[in-house]
Parts: sequence; structure tokens; C-alpha cells
Amino acid sequence: MNWFKEDDRAVIRALADILIPDAEGMPSASAAGAADELLDRVVQLRADLAPRVLAAVRFARGKDHRAALEELRTHDSETWQGFCLAIAGGYYLFDDVRALLGYTGPERRPVDPEAAPDFTDLLAPVLARGPIWRAPRTTGEAP
Amino acid sequence: MIALVSHKGMNRAEDPDGTIADVLIVGAGPAGGMAAKHLVAAGLSVVCLEQGDWESSDRLPTGRPEGELMARQRWHWSPNQREREADYPIDESESDVGITMYNAVGGSTWLWGAHWHRLTPSDFAVRSLDGVADDWPITYAELEPFYEEAELAMGVSGLSGDPAYPAPHRHPLPPFPIGKAGRKAAEGMNRLGWHWWPGSNGIPSRPHGHLAACVRLGVCSKGCPEGAKAVADKAYWIDATASGARLITGARVREITTDSAGLATGAIWIDRSGEEHHQRARVVILCANGIGTARLLLLSKSARFPDGLANSSGLVGRNFMPHPISVAVGVFDEQLESWIGPGGIAIYSMQFYETDRLRGFVRGAKWSLSTGGGPLSIHPGLGRASLERGWGAAAHQKMRRLGHSLSWAICGETLPDPENRITLHDELSDCDGVPSVKVHFRVGENDRALRDWHIERARESLVAAGAVETLSIPVLPNSGGHMLGTARMGNDPATSVTDRWGRTHDVPNLYIFDGSLFVTSGGVNPTATICALAARGARHLIAARRDQKVAA
Ligand SMILES: Cc1cc2nc3c(=O)[nH]c(=O)nc-3n(C[C@H](O)[C@H](O)[C@H](O)COP(=O)(O)OP(=O)(O)OC[C@H]3O[C@@H](n4cnc5c(N)ncnc54)[C@H](O)[C@@H]3O)c2cc1C
Repeated sequence: MNWFKEDDRAVIRALADILIPDAEGMPSASAAGAADELLDRVVQLRADLAPRVLAAVRFARGKDHRAALEELRTHDSETWQGFCLAIAGGYYLFDDVRALLGYTGPERRPVDPEAAPDFTDLLAPVLARGPIWRAPRTTGEAP
Repeated sequence: MIALVSHKGMNRAEDPDGTIADVLIVGAGPAGGMAAKHLVAAGLSVVCLEQGDWESSDRLPTGRPEGELMARQRWHWSPNQREREADYPIDESESDVGITMYNAVGGSTWLWGAHWHRLTPSDFAVRSLDGVADDWPITYAELEPFYEEAELAMGVSGLSGDPAYPAPHRHPLPPFPIGKAGRKAAEGMNRLGWHWWPGSNGIPSRPHGHLAACVRLGVCSKGCPEGAKAVADKAYWIDATASGARLITGARVREITTDSAGLATGAIWIDRSGEEHHQRARVVILCANGIGTARLLLLSKSARFPDGLANSSGLVGRNFMPHPISVAVGVFDEQLESWIGPGGIAIYSMQFYETDRLRGFVRGAKWSLSTGGGPLSIHPGLGRASLERGWGAAAHQKMRRLGHSLSWAICGETLPDPENRITLHDELSDCDGVPSVKVHFRVGENDRALRDWHIERARESLVAAGAVETLSIPVLPNSGGHMLGTARMGNDPATSVTDRWGRTHDVPNLYIFDGSLFVTSGGVNPTATICALAARGARHLIAARRDQKVAA
């Protein structure tokens, strides 16, 4: 299902780039496709977000976009949160963005049962200090 | 009165169709599962009524790139957000923390973080040691063999010999690597001379029973798509049902029934088509968690029990102790890949677990180094930050923290307060029209002082580890996932709901085996103790079954 018309997309791109601009070595939301193909992927996975994105578009159309976002944030948290999640949710699915952040995402890393523990060297002082639990007087248990 | 002998030994004339279960369990989480496992093994006929369904880990999106986006919906921690038929809404308007649970075969372990910790010996003697709250009617030593049993059932992986516990303190499966993140945090703790220990997780590091070996996706508390985390369906219910336990799903219990002698006779439940049924039973065990069990007892009012069942003490629903979680975060220059699992815990600390009055409060907390999550979990704009601070260039800067941060989740002891309680709701009900609950919970003075002090110490440890910046979250929203204290155990029927075995003082064939029993909350996650209490209670019930009073 195509939720967004081209003039909706134009507003979404503008709003999205205020949230996620081209800065700090990171691409803008629109350059990453977070208002286009990635947004389509997001609403395919989360159809509940599409009406909230459209509500944000309706609200912001013809207004100063930054002021509109600020107003949504303070007065309509459901639309605001839905819009933000849809944009950020798509943006951080973009492989280049993940690579720039050094983020690999959930990866399968089975434990090697033969590998030596990676903490033994650090644990010595903890063991040297001995028991730290407190015995209840009532039972006579003692460390 | 007749004794509970087992269905094979029952007088057939009394129950020609075999419709009366020896034992009815309400709730198919780990508490119910542990009980069922023991009871069927002893030859008793067991029926379990569970309002949710069997779930499949294949349905979980969490292992995929879009998992974070999807995790906020159907698998949300809050039943109020999920709004599934199996859930019941919870009024949190008077609670300082949001409530989390999951309703299905396996219960809340579908979403649990699998941090596995026993209470310590001092936790059972808080009144004697620190002059607050009450002592438990049992000791650590009594529970110890049942902890070991639960650790085997739940495939716990960890390093044996933690000096924060009396020896022997063993784990059935080897520990996970602590990774770059765990090593970094441990170095900070060592600089300060503070205790830490490799994580103990209800997650097998090797294949174990029906559980797969963990592959460290790090998504545990959003639901493990590998079937590796110990969810109670795999840990208990697959075997319990194969051994003859009858588990009826989509079965919402709305009342525990009693006879004229005040003995439990079974439960009325509603199926998914809205039809009511009565399941008869000789013994009823509630394992619906600290909120669900209190709800059911309060719903089961009658002329004989006008304030709810087993509530002559007036304590049903009271002393709710949900352990709001605090977080201290340290940001580091280097990439620590802190999203790598298990998540679960890499390391934990019990350095400040025991009371030191010089700190200005009693009791303590355990810290767990948890996985940091992916981009959506740490994005400042998806929290409550302003447009300026949460988005724009500022957000890009903050997102550089991804994988560069360490988070201590601080589980501090919640002291019991009778005003912190679960009550039935006047207006709110579930989809079957059964009244739901309101949670009244305020963070107490001692708990607040404890929390603030621990956050500062945790930040110090992160600085000692080399953090360039630290921040804290005093109460993690939606972190109230430990349902404790609402039907506490004790020796005196005036000040407790059940005896030391979980049998209610007022109704001798009605038992409670879940977190409701906790007299105090301790400062650790509770599921180890819940499973141990269920095992101990079930064993006792079996051993004493010839003396068990049941309805005529
Ligand atoms: C997000 C999250 C993270 C957690 N992390 C940890 C952790 O790291 N370590 C830890 O120790 N604990 C953790 N916990 C807590 C842990 O999940 C619980 O302690 C444990 O599941 C309690 O077991 P239980 O069987 O008593 O209750 P539950 O697992 O809650 O099961 C109760 C069952 O009863 C059923 N039920 C309730 N009422 C009715 C009714 N009226 N009719 C029919 N069925 C009913 C429910 O549907 C549910 O399936 C966490 C919990 C959550 C939600």
C-alpha cells in the first residue's frame, strides 16, 4: 500500500531533515532515504505508524516546519512520537549509517566452549578479598 | 475431609468422570511450571489454567535489523501498550514506576532479562539485622537446595564461587565471556577495590534440555529469537505437559471457588469465546504473579470471605515491592561493542549489597552491567529530550555513544510499605469484563536515599573505568517487572497471608507459589527465588499430601 503522495513526501523530507540533518559526518534523513524507500519499509513493518506520519504532514503543511515540530512535540505527543520513530527507525536501518556508527546490530556469536575465560586475570583481587556476605545472627551462619 | 492421595488412589465413586483435578494451577509462568513438574512427577493429576497462549520464538523479530522497531509493539513490556486479549490493563496513574509483564505459556520470562541471582542470607533476616520490615519464616540454607534445582532447570550459566554468597555457590553451565564492555567495567571496579563477578544468566552457554545455546545477539529482554533464553515454556511446560499435566490456554480465571467449609473447590474461568467453565480441584495453587494472584484473591469475595479470599490479615495486595530500576551510564572514547550479549548481564556487583548505616539508609542493591541496545534504544530524541537536545547535530553527536557506553542497572531493595498496594479497579476491566487492577506505589524515603547513593557510587566506578562522561536515570520507565510481596509468607496469620510453605492461613487447600510470597524484596532480581519457593512448596505439598485437607 502506498500511504504517501509526492507532496506528502516533500513535507516529510523537510521535517525529517530538521530532525536528522547532514551534520557531524552523518547523512541527512532524506539523503539516507528515511522519507522515501526506508519510510515505506518502516510502514510495511509498522502500519500503525503511517497515520501518525500523515497526521504530522497535515499539521505541518504550510507552516514553519521547525515551529510545527516543536508544537507537535509539546501538544500532540502521539503524533510526534510516531513521526520520530518512523523517521529514526528507517534512518538507522540504512547500512551506510550503521557502518558510520560502527554498529553491527545483533550478530550470531556462538560461545567457543574450548576458549579460555576472558576474565581470570581481573578476578584475582576480588577472590583475594574473600567472602563479603553478611550472616544473619539468628541462624549462626557465618562467612 | 478427605486427603489428597493422587487421582489413581482416589475413590472413583466420588469423581466418576475424573473431572476433579488433584491440583489446579493458575498461571503458566516459571512458578506454575516448576510446581507442575513436581506434581505430575509425583503422580498427581494437574490442570493449569493460563489466560495466554503458547508462543513461538520464531515469531520474534529481534534478531533482524528491524527488530528494534518491531520490539516496541506486540512484544512491548507494558501490557497497556500491547492490549492483547491475554493481557489485562493496569492503572498506573498512582505508581512511580510502569508495570511490565507478559501473559502467555512461559509468563513474563518471555521478556525477562534473565539476570539470575539468589537472595543472600541476610535478606531473610532484615528485621533482626536492620530493624526494618520483617524476617522471612525461612532461611537461605533452607532454600539453597531448591536454588540449585532451579538453576539446573533454567540452564543457568555463570562462574561458581562468588564470595558474595556462602559456599557452595555453583552454576550448572560455564559462564559467558564478559567481553570488552565487561572487562572495562571490571577494571574500574578493581581500581576502587570493589566486588564484581562474571554474569550469572538464565541463558545456557551450551545446549541445555529444550533450550538452544546462546549466540549472544544481546536482545534477551526484547525476546530471544534463538530459543536460547530460559523461557518457562521450554524450561518446564513442554516436559510437564508431556508427562500428563493438562494446560488449558486462553483460559482466564475470574474466581477461586470455595465450599461451605471454606475450602477451595476450583476456579471459574472464561474461554476465548466468552463461555464460563468451572474447573474442580482438590488443591488450588496460584502462580499468577504478585499482581495477578492478588487480583484473583481480591476478586474471590464471598459471604465467608468478604474482603477477598485468604485475606483475614488484610494484607492481600499490600506491601507491593516492584524494584524500580535505576541506571548509571558511562560514555567512553573507545568502541566497547556494548550491544553484544548475553543481555543478560556481562558482570554484576554486590559490593554495596549489605547495610552500612553510615550511608544514611539500610539495605542495598546489586548492579548489573547490561547490554546497551541498538540505536533506537539510546536515541535521545526518542526519549523525552527537546528538539534542540534530542535531534539535529546534537543527536548525531550523542549517537556516537552507540557501543561506547556502559550501563549499570541498579536493582535496589524496595522496603515493604502496606500503602504500596494492588487494588481492584472500579471501572477498568479486561476483555472478558473481569475487573482489573490499580497499582499504588510510591518510592519510599529509604529507597530513594539508597537509589541516589548507589547511582553516585556507580558513576564513580564508571569514571574509574575511564568514562569521559556519566549520566543517570533515577527510575527507568516501565522497569516495574518484579511483582513481589502482595501475599507474604509468615508464621503469624495476623501478619501474613500464607505459612512458610505457601499455604494460605485461611484456606488450607489454597497455595501461593509466586513472588507474592516475598516478605522483603532483597536487592536482586527475584526469579531464582520464585522458582526455588515453588519447588520447595510443591515438594512439601507432595510430602504432606496424606494430611492435606480437601473439599468433601
Ligand atoms: C521486562 C522484564 C524483565 C525482567 N527481567 C528479569 C530478570 O532479569 N531477572 C529476574 O529474575 N526476573 C526478571 N523479570 C521478572 C520475571 O519475569 C518474573 O519474576 C517471573 O516471570 C515470575 O514468574 P511467575 O510464574 O510468578 O509469573 P509470570 O511469569 O508473570 O507468569 C504468570 C502467568 O499467570 C497468568 N495469569 C495471571 N492471571 C491469570 C488469570 N486470572 N487467569 C489465567 N492466567 C493468569 C499470566 O498470563 C502469566 O502467564 C523480568 C520481568 C519483565 C517483565
